[in-house]
Amino acid sequence: MDILALDPSRFIELNAASVAFLFIVGFIGGLVSGFIGSGGAFVLTPGMMSLGVPGTVAVASNMCHKFPKALVGTIKRFKYGQVDLKLGLYMAISAAVGVQGGIRIQQMVLQTWGQAGSDLYVSLSFVAVLVIVGGYVMQDAIRCARCHIPEGTPPLARRLQQIELPPMVTFKTSGIRISFWFTVPVGLATGLLAATIAVGGFVGVPGMIYVLGVPGIMASATELVVAFIMGLGGSINWAMHGLVDIRLVLIILGGSLLGVQLGAIGTTYVREHMIKVVMATIMLIVAVSRCIALPGYLVKLGLMDLSASTLTILGRVSFVCMCFALFIGAVIILGSMWRGRAAERADGVAGAHGQA
Amino acid sequence: MAAKTDRKPVGRMTVFGLLTVAMYAAVFTHAEVITSMFARGSLWAAGPIATVFAFSYVHGTFASDLWSVLGVNARPQARKAAETTVARPSARATVKA
Repeated sequence: MDILALDPSRFIELNAASVAFLFIVGFIGGLVSGFIGSGGAFVLTPGMMSLGVPGTVAVASNMCHKFPKALVGTIKRFKYGQVDLKLGLYMAISAAVGVQGGIRIQQMVLQTWGQAGSDLYVSLSFVAVLVIVGGYVMQDAIRCARCHIPEGTPPLARRLQQIELPPMVTFKTSGIRISFWFTVPVGLATGLLAATIAVGGFVGVPGMIYVLGVPGIMASATELVVAFIMGLGGSINWAMHGLVDIRLVLIILGGSLLGVQLGAIGTTYVREHMIKVVMATIMLIVAVSRCIALPGYLVKLGLMDLSASTLTILGRVSFVCMCFALFIGAVIILGSMWRGRAAERADGVAGAHGQA
Repeated sequence: MAAKTDRKPVGRMTVFGLLTVAMYAAVFTHAEVITSMFARGSLWAAGPIATVFAFSYVHGTFASDLWSVLGVNARPQARKAAETTVARPSARATVKA
Protein backbone atom coordinates (compact mmCIF):
# COMPACT_ATOMS: atom_id res chain seq x y z
CA MET A 1 0.00 0.00 0.00
CA ASP A 2 1.60 3.20 -1.18
CA ILE A 3 1.44 6.05 1.31
CA LEU A 4 4.14 8.28 -0.15
CA ALA A 5 2.07 11.46 0.15
CA LEU A 6 1.09 10.76 3.75
CA ASP A 7 2.90 12.31 6.66
CA PRO A 8 5.06 9.39 7.92
CA SER A 9 5.07 10.85 11.44
CA ARG A 10 1.29 10.32 11.63
CA PHE A 11 0.51 7.50 9.22
CA ILE A 12 2.41 4.23 9.27
CA GLU A 13 3.13 2.06 6.28
CA LEU A 14 0.96 -1.04 6.35
CA ASN A 15 2.20 -4.52 5.53
CA ALA A 16 0.57 -7.96 5.51
CA ALA A 17 1.60 -8.71 9.12
CA SER A 18 0.22 -5.46 10.54
CA VAL A 19 -3.04 -5.86 8.57
CA ALA A 20 -3.44 -9.45 9.83
CA PHE A 21 -2.68 -8.36 13.42
CA LEU A 22 -5.27 -5.54 13.35
CA PHE A 23 -7.91 -7.75 11.71
CA ILE A 24 -7.46 -10.58 14.24
CA VAL A 25 -7.38 -8.29 17.29
CA GLY A 26 -10.42 -6.51 15.81
CA PHE A 27 -12.27 -9.82 15.51
CA ILE A 28 -11.45 -10.97 19.05
CA GLY A 29 -12.17 -7.51 20.47
CA GLY A 30 -15.49 -7.48 18.64
CA LEU A 31 -16.36 -10.93 19.97
CA VAL A 32 -15.70 -9.82 23.55
CA SER A 33 -17.58 -6.51 23.06
CA GLY A 34 -20.59 -8.27 21.56
CA PHE A 35 -20.69 -10.53 24.60
CA ILE A 36 -19.86 -8.29 27.58
CA GLY A 37 -20.60 -4.87 26.03
CA SER A 38 -17.04 -3.55 26.21
CA GLY A 39 -13.43 -4.63 25.94
CA GLY A 40 -11.03 -4.93 23.06
CA ALA A 41 -10.16 -1.24 23.07
CA PHE A 42 -7.58 -1.71 25.81
CA VAL A 43 -5.54 -4.00 23.55
CA LEU A 44 -6.07 -2.14 20.27
CA THR A 45 -4.62 1.20 21.35
CA PRO A 46 -1.31 -0.20 22.69
CA GLY A 47 -1.37 -2.73 19.83
CA MET A 48 -1.49 0.03 17.22
CA MET A 49 1.17 1.98 19.09
CA SER A 50 3.42 -1.09 19.02
CA LEU A 51 3.12 -0.98 15.19
CA GLY A 52 4.43 2.59 15.26
CA VAL A 53 1.12 4.49 15.19
CA PRO A 54 1.36 7.72 17.26
CA GLY A 55 -0.67 7.59 20.51
CA THR A 56 -3.27 10.19 19.52
CA VAL A 57 -3.88 8.61 16.09
CA ALA A 58 -4.17 5.18 17.78
CA VAL A 59 -6.73 6.48 20.29
CA ALA A 60 -8.69 8.35 17.57
CA SER A 61 -8.72 5.41 15.14
CA ASN A 62 -9.66 2.99 17.91
CA MET A 63 -12.60 5.16 18.93
CA CYS A 64 -13.72 5.59 15.32
CA HIS A 65 -13.97 1.81 14.88
CA LYS A 66 -15.64 1.40 18.27
CA PHE A 67 -18.90 3.27 17.67
CA PRO A 68 -19.99 1.49 14.44
CA LYS A 69 -19.11 -1.81 16.11
CA ALA A 70 -21.25 -0.85 19.11
CA LEU A 71 -24.07 0.18 16.74
CA VAL A 72 -24.07 -3.19 14.97
CA GLY A 73 -23.88 -5.01 18.32
CA THR A 74 -26.76 -2.92 19.70
CA ILE A 75 -28.98 -3.69 16.70
CA LYS A 76 -28.19 -7.40 16.93
CA ARG A 77 -28.89 -7.63 20.65
CA PHE A 78 -31.96 -5.38 20.38
CA LYS A 79 -33.45 -8.09 18.17
CA TYR A 80 -33.00 -10.53 21.08
CA GLY A 81 -34.83 -8.15 23.44
CA GLN A 82 -31.68 -7.47 25.49
CA VAL A 83 -31.24 -3.70 25.00
CA ASP A 84 -32.82 -1.08 27.27
CA LEU A 85 -32.60 1.99 25.03
CA LYS A 86 -34.01 4.37 27.62
CA LEU A 87 -31.49 3.30 30.25
CA GLY A 88 -28.72 3.49 27.63
CA LEU A 89 -29.63 7.12 26.88
CA TYR A 90 -29.77 8.06 30.58
CA MET A 91 -26.40 6.42 31.13
CA ALA A 92 -24.84 8.02 28.05
CA ILE A 93 -25.85 11.54 29.10
CA SER A 94 -24.34 11.26 32.58
CA ALA A 95 -21.33 9.39 31.14
CA ALA A 96 -20.70 12.32 28.78
CA VAL A 97 -20.48 14.60 31.83
CA GLY A 98 -18.19 12.05 33.51
CA VAL A 99 -15.87 12.08 30.48
CA GLN A 100 -15.45 15.85 30.81
CA GLY A 101 -14.63 15.41 34.52
CA GLY A 102 -12.14 12.67 33.66
CA ILE A 103 -10.42 14.87 31.07
CA ARG A 104 -10.11 17.71 33.62
CA ILE A 105 -8.53 15.37 36.18
CA GLN A 106 -6.14 14.04 33.51
CA GLN A 107 -5.10 17.58 32.58
CA MET A 108 -4.52 18.46 36.24
CA VAL A 109 -2.36 15.36 36.76
CA LEU A 110 -0.45 16.08 33.55
CA GLN A 111 0.27 19.68 34.57
CA THR A 112 1.35 18.69 38.07
CA TRP A 113 3.41 15.52 37.49
CA GLY A 114 4.10 15.48 33.72
CA GLN A 115 3.62 12.61 31.23
CA ALA A 116 5.16 9.91 33.47
CA GLY A 117 2.92 11.00 36.36
CA SER A 118 -0.10 10.89 34.08
CA ASP A 119 0.83 7.37 32.89
CA LEU A 120 1.29 6.27 36.48
CA TYR A 121 -2.11 7.73 37.43
CA VAL A 122 -3.76 5.87 34.54
CA SER A 123 -2.06 2.60 35.47
CA LEU A 124 -2.90 2.95 39.17
CA SER A 125 -6.53 3.70 38.27
CA PHE A 126 -6.52 0.65 36.01
CA VAL A 127 -5.16 -1.61 38.77
CA ALA A 128 -7.37 -0.23 41.58
CA VAL A 129 -10.64 -0.33 39.61
CA LEU A 130 -9.97 -3.65 37.91
CA VAL A 131 -8.90 -5.44 41.09
CA ILE A 132 -11.76 -4.13 43.25
CA VAL A 133 -14.58 -4.36 40.69
CA GLY A 134 -13.18 -7.41 38.88
CA GLY A 135 -12.65 -9.26 42.18
CA TYR A 136 -16.21 -8.54 43.31
CA VAL A 137 -17.70 -9.56 39.94
CA MET A 138 -15.66 -12.79 39.92
CA GLN A 139 -16.77 -13.65 43.47
CA ASP A 140 -20.39 -13.08 42.48
CA ALA A 141 -19.97 -15.05 39.23
CA ILE A 142 -18.60 -18.06 41.15
CA ARG A 143 -21.51 -17.84 43.62
CA CYS A 144 -24.01 -17.61 40.72
CA ALA A 145 -22.41 -20.58 38.95
CA ARG A 146 -22.89 -22.74 42.04
CA CYS A 147 -26.54 -21.84 42.64
CA HIS A 148 -28.89 -23.33 40.07
CA ILE A 149 -31.73 -20.86 40.49
CA PRO A 150 -32.23 -17.68 38.42
CA GLU A 151 -30.29 -14.71 39.77
CA GLY A 152 -32.30 -12.25 41.85
CA THR A 153 -31.85 -8.50 42.29
CA PRO A 154 -28.56 -7.74 44.15
CA PRO A 155 -29.09 -6.50 47.76
CA LEU A 156 -27.79 -2.93 47.14
CA ALA A 157 -29.97 -2.51 44.05
CA ARG A 158 -33.03 -3.86 45.93
CA ARG A 159 -32.51 -1.29 48.69
CA LEU A 160 -31.98 1.58 46.26
CA GLN A 161 -35.08 0.62 44.27
CA GLN A 162 -37.13 0.93 47.46
CA ILE A 163 -36.04 4.53 48.05
CA GLU A 164 -38.66 6.92 46.66
CA LEU A 165 -36.45 9.86 45.68
CA PRO A 166 -38.13 11.88 42.89
CA PRO A 167 -37.91 11.76 39.97
CA MET A 168 -38.47 8.01 39.85
CA VAL A 169 -37.83 6.46 36.45
CA THR A 170 -39.26 3.20 35.13
CA PHE A 171 -37.08 1.26 32.72
CA LYS A 172 -39.64 -1.11 31.25
CA THR A 173 -37.29 -3.32 29.26
CA SER A 174 -35.02 -3.95 32.25
CA GLY A 175 -38.03 -4.30 34.52
CA ILE A 176 -36.76 -1.84 37.12
CA ARG A 177 -38.03 1.35 38.71
CA ILE A 178 -35.40 3.50 40.41
CA SER A 179 -34.64 7.10 41.27
CA PHE A 180 -32.94 9.09 38.51
CA TRP A 181 -30.34 10.19 41.07
CA PHE A 182 -29.04 6.62 41.41
CA THR A 183 -28.47 6.30 37.66
CA VAL A 184 -26.31 9.45 37.62
CA PRO A 185 -23.30 8.18 39.65
CA VAL A 186 -23.16 4.99 37.57
CA GLY A 187 -23.08 7.03 34.35
CA LEU A 188 -20.57 9.51 35.77
CA ALA A 189 -18.25 6.71 36.89
CA THR A 190 -18.53 5.09 33.46
CA GLY A 191 -17.54 8.33 31.75
CA LEU A 192 -14.77 9.05 34.24
CA LEU A 193 -13.26 5.63 33.66
CA ALA A 194 -13.71 5.92 29.89
CA ALA A 195 -11.70 9.16 29.93
CA THR A 196 -9.04 7.58 32.15
CA ILE A 197 -8.52 4.02 30.88
CA ALA A 198 -10.72 4.05 27.72
CA VAL A 199 -12.91 1.15 28.91
CA GLY A 200 -15.88 2.65 30.75
CA GLY A 201 -17.81 -0.60 30.48
CA PHE A 202 -15.64 -2.16 33.19
CA VAL A 203 -17.55 0.05 35.64
CA GLY A 204 -20.71 0.69 33.62
CA VAL A 205 -21.82 -2.94 33.33
CA PRO A 206 -21.15 -3.93 36.98
CA GLY A 207 -22.73 -0.60 38.03
CA MET A 208 -25.93 -1.36 36.13
CA ILE A 209 -26.01 -4.89 37.59
CA TYR A 210 -25.18 -4.22 41.24
CA VAL A 211 -26.36 -0.63 41.77
CA LEU A 212 -29.40 -0.39 39.50
CA GLY A 213 -30.43 -4.07 39.49
CA VAL A 214 -30.38 -4.59 35.72
CA PRO A 215 -29.97 -8.26 34.66
CA GLY A 216 -26.40 -9.04 33.51
CA ILE A 217 -27.33 -9.90 29.92
CA MET A 218 -29.32 -6.66 29.60
CA ALA A 219 -26.60 -4.54 31.26
CA SER A 220 -23.94 -5.77 28.83
CA ALA A 221 -26.25 -5.08 25.85
CA THR A 222 -27.22 -1.63 27.14
CA GLU A 223 -23.55 -0.75 27.57
CA LEU A 224 -23.28 -0.99 23.77
CA VAL A 225 -25.74 1.93 23.48
CA VAL A 226 -23.52 3.98 25.81
CA ALA A 227 -20.42 2.98 23.81
CA PHE A 228 -22.10 4.01 20.55
CA ILE A 229 -23.18 7.45 21.76
CA MET A 230 -19.93 8.26 23.51
CA GLY A 231 -17.85 6.78 20.70
CA LEU A 232 -19.68 8.80 18.05
CA GLY A 233 -19.17 12.06 19.97
CA GLY A 234 -15.50 11.28 20.61
CA SER A 235 -14.87 10.24 17.00
CA ILE A 236 -16.35 13.46 15.60
CA ASN A 237 -14.05 15.39 17.93
CA TRP A 238 -10.93 13.42 16.90
CA ALA A 239 -11.88 13.53 13.19
CA MET A 240 -12.24 17.31 13.35
CA HIS A 241 -8.60 17.39 14.45
CA GLY A 242 -7.69 15.15 11.49
CA LEU A 243 -6.31 12.37 13.67
CA VAL A 244 -8.33 9.41 12.35
CA ASP A 245 -6.43 6.97 10.11
CA ILE A 246 -9.30 5.57 8.05
CA ARG A 247 -7.18 2.63 6.81
CA LEU A 248 -6.61 1.34 10.34
CA VAL A 249 -10.27 1.92 11.22
CA LEU A 250 -11.54 -0.10 8.26
CA ILE A 251 -9.13 -3.00 8.81
CA ILE A 252 -10.14 -3.30 12.48
CA LEU A 253 -13.81 -2.87 11.57
CA GLY A 254 -13.48 -5.71 9.04
CA GLY A 255 -12.73 -8.13 11.88
CA SER A 256 -14.77 -6.55 14.65
CA LEU A 257 -18.09 -6.53 12.77
CA LEU A 258 -17.75 -10.30 12.32
CA GLY A 259 -16.76 -10.74 15.96
CA VAL A 260 -19.41 -8.51 17.55
CA GLN A 261 -22.23 -10.44 15.87
CA LEU A 262 -20.81 -13.76 17.00
CA GLY A 263 -20.48 -12.44 20.55
CA ALA A 264 -24.08 -11.21 20.47
CA ILE A 265 -25.29 -14.63 19.26
CA GLY A 266 -23.23 -16.20 22.05
CA THR A 267 -25.23 -14.37 24.74
CA THR A 268 -28.36 -16.34 23.76
CA TYR A 269 -26.70 -19.68 24.58
CA VAL A 270 -25.13 -19.05 27.97
CA ARG A 271 -26.32 -18.71 31.53
CA GLU A 272 -26.32 -15.16 32.85
CA HIS A 273 -23.32 -15.62 35.14
CA MET A 274 -21.08 -16.24 32.11
CA ILE A 275 -21.17 -12.51 31.30
CA LYS A 276 -19.72 -11.90 34.78
CA VAL A 277 -17.16 -14.70 34.43
CA VAL A 278 -15.79 -13.34 31.14
CA MET A 279 -15.78 -9.73 32.34
CA ALA A 280 -14.10 -10.53 35.67
CA THR A 281 -11.49 -12.80 34.07
CA ILE A 282 -10.48 -10.13 31.56
CA MET A 283 -10.45 -7.40 34.22
CA LEU A 284 -8.22 -9.36 36.60
CA ILE A 285 -5.71 -10.37 33.89
CA VAL A 286 -5.56 -6.77 32.62
CA ALA A 287 -4.93 -5.65 36.23
CA VAL A 288 -1.92 -8.00 36.36
CA SER A 289 -0.73 -6.57 33.02
CA ARG A 290 -0.89 -3.01 34.36
CA CYS A 291 0.90 -4.06 37.58
CA ILE A 292 3.76 -5.35 35.41
CA ALA A 293 3.89 -1.99 33.58
CA LEU A 294 3.96 0.08 36.79
CA PRO A 295 7.77 -0.05 37.42
CA GLY A 296 8.33 1.65 34.04
CA TYR A 297 6.43 4.74 35.15
CA LEU A 298 8.06 4.71 38.61
CA VAL A 299 11.48 4.72 36.90
CA LYS A 300 10.45 7.71 34.73
CA LEU A 301 9.42 9.57 37.87
CA GLY A 302 12.76 8.75 39.51
CA LEU A 303 11.11 6.68 42.24
CA MET A 304 12.75 3.41 41.18
CA ASP A 305 15.88 2.29 39.37
CA LEU A 306 15.80 -0.47 36.74
CA SER A 307 17.90 -1.20 33.63
CA ALA A 308 16.56 -0.33 30.18
CA SER A 309 16.55 -3.98 29.11
CA THR A 310 14.47 -4.95 32.17
CA LEU A 311 11.96 -2.20 31.36
CA THR A 312 11.71 -3.39 27.75
CA ILE A 313 11.03 -6.94 28.91
CA LEU A 314 8.42 -5.72 31.42
CA GLY A 315 6.72 -3.65 28.68
CA ARG A 316 6.54 -6.65 26.36
CA VAL A 317 5.29 -9.00 29.10
CA SER A 318 2.63 -6.43 30.00
CA PHE A 319 1.41 -6.21 26.38
CA VAL A 320 1.41 -10.00 25.94
CA CYS A 321 -0.58 -10.24 29.18
CA MET A 322 -3.19 -7.85 27.76
CA CYS A 323 -3.47 -9.87 24.56
CA PHE A 324 -3.81 -13.00 26.71
CA ALA A 325 -6.71 -11.38 28.62
CA LEU A 326 -8.57 -10.79 25.38
CA PHE A 327 -7.70 -14.25 24.06
CA ILE A 328 -8.82 -16.07 27.21
CA GLY A 329 -12.07 -14.07 27.18
CA ALA A 330 -12.69 -15.17 23.60
CA VAL A 331 -11.94 -18.81 24.48
CA ILE A 332 -14.43 -18.75 27.38
CA ILE A 333 -17.10 -17.18 25.14
CA LEU A 334 -16.61 -19.63 22.27
CA GLY A 335 -16.37 -22.59 24.69
CA SER A 336 -19.56 -21.73 26.54
CA MET A 337 -21.33 -20.99 23.25
CA TRP A 338 -20.22 -24.38 21.91
CA ARG A 339 -21.53 -26.13 25.03
CA GLY A 340 -24.80 -24.19 24.81
CA ARG A 341 -25.29 -25.19 21.19
CA ALA A 342 -24.50 -28.83 21.99
CA ALA A 343 -27.04 -28.80 24.85
CA GLU A 344 -29.59 -27.20 22.52
CA ARG A 345 -29.04 -29.91 19.91
CA ALA A 346 -29.29 -32.63 22.58
CA ASP A 347 -32.59 -31.13 23.81
CA GLY A 348 -33.85 -31.07 20.22
CA VAL A 349 -32.97 -34.75 19.68
CA ALA A 350 -34.53 -35.72 23.03
CA GLY A 351 -37.67 -33.75 22.15
CA ALA A 352 -37.91 -35.45 18.77
CA HIS A 353 -37.58 -38.91 20.41
CA GLY A 354 -40.20 -37.95 22.97
CA GLN A 355 -42.70 -37.02 20.28
CA ALA A 356 -42.00 -40.19 18.25
CA MET B 1 -30.36 -24.64 16.12
CA ALA B 2 -32.42 -22.51 13.78
CA ALA B 3 -36.03 -23.37 13.10
CA LYS B 4 -36.48 -25.77 10.22
CA THR B 5 -38.47 -23.22 8.27
CA ASP B 6 -35.59 -20.69 8.37
CA ARG B 7 -34.11 -20.10 4.93
CA LYS B 8 -30.45 -19.27 4.67
CA PRO B 9 -29.85 -15.83 3.15
CA VAL B 10 -27.26 -17.01 0.60
CA GLY B 11 -28.29 -14.52 -2.09
CA ARG B 12 -28.26 -11.50 0.20
CA MET B 13 -24.96 -12.58 1.74
CA THR B 14 -23.41 -12.81 -1.74
CA VAL B 15 -24.68 -9.36 -2.75
CA PHE B 16 -23.49 -7.68 0.46
CA GLY B 17 -20.24 -9.68 0.37
CA LEU B 18 -19.48 -8.38 -3.12
CA LEU B 19 -20.44 -4.86 -2.07
CA THR B 20 -18.11 -5.12 0.95
CA VAL B 21 -15.22 -6.29 -1.25
CA ALA B 22 -15.94 -3.48 -3.74
CA MET B 23 -15.96 -0.85 -0.97
CA TYR B 24 -12.72 -2.10 0.59
CA ALA B 25 -11.12 -2.24 -2.86
CA ALA B 26 -12.31 1.30 -3.64
CA VAL B 27 -10.84 2.69 -0.41
CA PHE B 28 -7.56 0.79 -0.42
CA THR B 29 -6.75 1.41 -4.09
CA HIS B 30 -7.07 5.14 -3.28
CA ALA B 31 -5.83 4.86 0.31
CA GLU B 32 -3.27 7.64 -0.05
CA VAL B 33 -5.73 10.25 -1.33
CA ILE B 34 -8.60 9.30 0.99
CA THR B 35 -6.46 9.10 4.15
CA SER B 36 -4.83 12.47 3.51
CA MET B 37 -8.21 14.10 2.72
CA PHE B 38 -9.81 12.74 5.90
CA ALA B 39 -6.79 13.90 7.90
CA ARG B 40 -7.44 17.55 7.02
CA GLY B 41 -9.80 17.86 9.98
CA SER B 42 -12.54 20.48 10.35
CA LEU B 43 -15.50 19.69 8.04
CA TRP B 44 -13.56 16.81 6.48
CA ALA B 45 -14.47 15.01 9.71
CA ALA B 46 -17.71 14.04 7.97
CA GLY B 47 -15.64 11.79 5.67
CA PRO B 48 -14.46 9.12 8.15
CA ILE B 49 -17.75 9.24 10.07
CA ALA B 50 -19.88 8.71 6.93
CA THR B 51 -17.46 6.04 5.69
CA VAL B 52 -17.66 3.93 8.85
CA PHE B 53 -21.46 4.22 8.89
CA ALA B 54 -21.59 2.98 5.28
CA PHE B 55 -19.18 0.11 6.05
CA SER B 56 -21.03 -0.83 9.22
CA TYR B 57 -24.27 -1.19 7.22
CA VAL B 58 -22.85 -3.10 4.25
CA HIS B 59 -20.21 -5.20 6.01
CA GLY B 60 -22.46 -5.60 9.08
CA THR B 61 -25.26 -7.05 6.95
CA PHE B 62 -22.80 -9.35 5.20
CA ALA B 63 -21.34 -10.51 8.54
CA SER B 64 -24.81 -11.22 9.95
CA ASP B 65 -25.82 -13.22 6.87
CA LEU B 66 -22.49 -15.06 6.83
CA TRP B 67 -23.04 -16.42 10.35
CA SER B 68 -26.63 -17.39 9.39
CA VAL B 69 -25.42 -19.24 6.29
CA LEU B 70 -22.77 -21.00 8.38
CA GLY B 71 -25.57 -22.13 10.72
CA VAL B 72 -24.50 -19.94 13.65
CA ASN B 73 -27.82 -18.44 14.73
CA ALA B 74 -29.22 -17.20 18.01
CA ARG B 75 -30.96 -19.71 20.22
CA PRO B 76 -34.56 -20.00 18.94
CA GLN B 77 -35.97 -19.33 22.43
CA ALA B 78 -34.11 -16.01 22.54
CA ARG B 79 -35.63 -14.94 19.24
CA LYS B 80 -39.10 -15.96 20.42
CA ALA B 81 -38.62 -14.20 23.76
CA ALA B 82 -37.80 -10.97 21.95
CA GLU B 83 -41.07 -11.21 20.06
CA THR B 84 -43.15 -11.71 23.20
CA THR B 85 -43.70 -9.10 25.87
CA VAL B 86 -41.06 -8.66 28.54
CA ALA B 87 -41.95 -8.91 32.24
CA ARG B 88 -42.53 -5.37 33.41
CA PRO B 89 -42.71 -3.79 36.82
CA SER B 90 -46.15 -3.41 38.28
CA ALA B 91 -47.70 0.00 37.73
CA ARG B 92 -47.90 2.41 40.64
CA ALA B 93 -51.22 2.77 42.33
CA THR B 94 -52.91 6.01 41.22
CA VAL B 95 -55.91 7.81 42.62
CA LYS B 96 -58.45 9.15 40.15
CA ALA B 97 -59.72 12.47 41.31
